[in-house]
Amino acid sequence: MNHDNSVLTFVELGPDKSILAISLECITAARRLADAFGGAVHGLILGNSVGEAAEELAHYGLDRVYVQDHRLLETYHPETTCSALLKASETLKPKAILLGETLISIDLAPRAAFALDTGLITDCVGFEIYESDIHFIKPVYSSNVMAAYALTTKPYLVTIRSRALDPAERQDDAGAEVIVLDLKLDESAREMEVIERVFEEEEGPKLTSSNIIVSGGRGMGGPEGFAQLAELASLLNASVGASRPPVDLGWAPPKAQVGQTGEKVGPSVYIAVGISGATQHIAGMSASRTIVAINKDPRANIFKIADYGVVGNHEEVVPAFHEAIKSMLRQGGRG
Amino acid sequence: MNIIVCIKQVPDPEGPQDCFAINPETVRVEPRGIPPVLSLFDENALEAALRIKDAHGEEVNITVVSVGRRVSNAVLQKALAVGADDLVKVEGEAFESGSLDSFATASALAATIKQIDAYDLILAGRQAADWNAGQVGIFLAGLLGLPAVTLARKVEIQGKHAVVERLHPNGYETVRAPLPAVVVATNEVGEMRYPTMIQRREAKKKPVKAWGASDIGFESPPQNRLVLKRLFSPEMRQGQCQLADGETPADAGRNLARRLRDDGIL
Ligand SMILES: Cc1cc2nc3c(=O)[nH]c(=O)nc-3n(C[C@H](O)[C@H](O)[C@H](O)COP(=O)(O)OP(=O)(O)OC[C@H]3O[C@@H](n4cnc5c(N)ncnc54)[C@H](O)[C@@H]3O)c2cc1C
Ligand SMILES: Nc1ncnc2c1ncn2[C@@H]1O[C@H](COP(=O)(O)O)[C@@H](O)[C@H]1O
Repeated sequence: MNHDNSVLTFVELGPDKSILAISLECITAARRLADAFGGAVHGLILGNSVGEAAEELAHYGLDRVYVQDHRLLETYHPETTCSALLKASETLKPKAILLGETLISIDLAPRAAFALDTGLITDCVGFEIYESDIHFIKPVYSSNVMAAYALTTKPYLVTIRSRALDPAERQDDAGAEVIVLDLKLDESAREMEVIERVFEEEEGPKLTSSNIIVSGGRGMGGPEGFAQLAELASLLNASVGASRPPVDLGWAPPKAQVGQTGEKVGPSVYIAVGISGATQHIAGMSASRTIVAINKDPRANIFKIADYGVVGNHEEVVPAFHEAIKSMLRQGGRG
Repeated sequence: MNIIVCIKQVPDPEGPQDCFAINPETVRVEPRGIPPVLSLFDENALEAALRIKDAHGEEVNITVVSVGRRVSNAVLQKALAVGADDLVKVEGEAFESGSLDSFATASALAATIKQIDAYDLILAGRQAADWNAGQVGIFLAGLLGLPAVTLARKVEIQGKHAVVERLHPNGYETVRAPLPAVVVATNEVGEMRYPTMIQRREAKKKPVKAWGASDIGFESPPQNRLVLKRLFSPEMRQGQCQLADGETPADAGRNLARRLRDDGIL
């Protein structure tokens, strides 16, 4: 396949068809790569009734927006969406395809890499650009080491970790040209059948946009511990996060997981209760402005990165902390 | 029914960070003083297989496959102790984990699984805890010409199909894929069960096949698409933790609240 020097950005939309922040961060990454290649940056939206989103996307400094509107693309389907991405790649022949590291791309990017016979770097956090070469940086050994990779095949396929780069900014310009694709999709090659979809309404503030996060770990001991954290969170208008074990054990929902394989968060305040501070957890929350730790083990790693802390059993510390905050809020409002 | 679970042996990712020594010349990580363990998501994959065995009984046979420069029986015995029936390990210099990218690794696993021949379901983990690539499961499915279902949090067998609950950005979805299939497990499957002392002892008697590159026809691995250029240490956040104390833990909790208030944090 012949490639031009363009970078294609796969843009994801939320349930309300708004552009995800991670996709805007991808555009920033795409621009840096395209500048190195001397090529253009294009955005790609695959969805159903996404004309408005495409028009909106046109204002984020892209050279062109490609959109495929199709009823089969209403929600992600591993085989259908991948075949659409492959057809788009075949039509547009980009030198690189960038996706945000999300639950969609964890499935989609390796499928596309296999079909395109090309190499894939997942969870990339930055680039080193040399005259004739680009190195893609990603955490390895579960966030204990950083690695720089080169790719030997094209198109380069890369997924970008959220919060690694600043999002592209909206510009009040005429907007890039929007081109409607007609990729001729069908279901004939589908092997996987979706029987049921269970979509959960989000309660309370979203983890990634919360100003305060109250997060629990294995040390919470069970769902009761998390119920207490939820009360504290509602008092602080915060959302509830978790380390991995509570998610494995069903004490907290998958979406609450913070860390290398969960959400990357950067709130003003992150309160970690019963969390030891494994490197893989820190990978998701070290951008927090202030970190507060409550842990019964004074040697827990979390105290090495925390700004404030208490050594003690959460069952005794958290209720007293909660009551004290409550009376302070009653006295003086928030400030 | 034959289930194959792909398990990688890795240095314990939860070891202290300074144990992951970098050798800049060889561009390799040389773990110091941390034991090898089963990669975490692979334990979830095995747990998913064990639950199928719980549901379907003795007709289910679980084979663990592990490829590496050296694969320790002692480490893999944990998989046999919790209920896997046999182990196929494939060892040799060619399988050094830093030398193979995900495509080459998947090629080695595909060659091994073709030798094993009889399989209905193949399970892998979401990503290996050493290079964190997150690709081998889907590549393996591609190489074997099988459907792949990823991000699985629950796996059941219904007749000739795998019925899988998989994570979706807005919740989850249930999908059905014809067997044989590859299913890639995530941690929401749940933690792997613990073996009893008796199970640990029994595990030593379970069959282990030790193969080399020539046994799976893997003398010349495919060319790597990813080339590792450099390794370096990540920057770590350093805090100056101010500990709040008090007569009792409850006192300390109240003092923490006060301090956060005084400093304008909350
Ligand atoms: C590839 C890979 C990806 C991973 N991704 C993630 C990820 O995204 N997010 C993540 O969090 N982890 C992730 N992990 C797992 C990570 O390695 C750790 O296992 C996990 O973060 C530990 O969670 P924890 O701190 O809650 O549990 P533990 O390490 O078991 O710590 C529990 C803590 O609670 C304290 N405690 C116990 N009882 C009490 C009490 N009554 N009161 C107060 N404190 C108490 C203990 O002192 C201890 O410090 C990943 C691992 C791998 C290999
Ligand atoms: N050398 C190996 N031996 C056995 N299984 C492996 C090996 N490498 C990868 N896998 C499987 O593939 C999954 C994904 O690995 P990766 O794509 O390298 O992150 C792992 O969780 C394992 O289930």
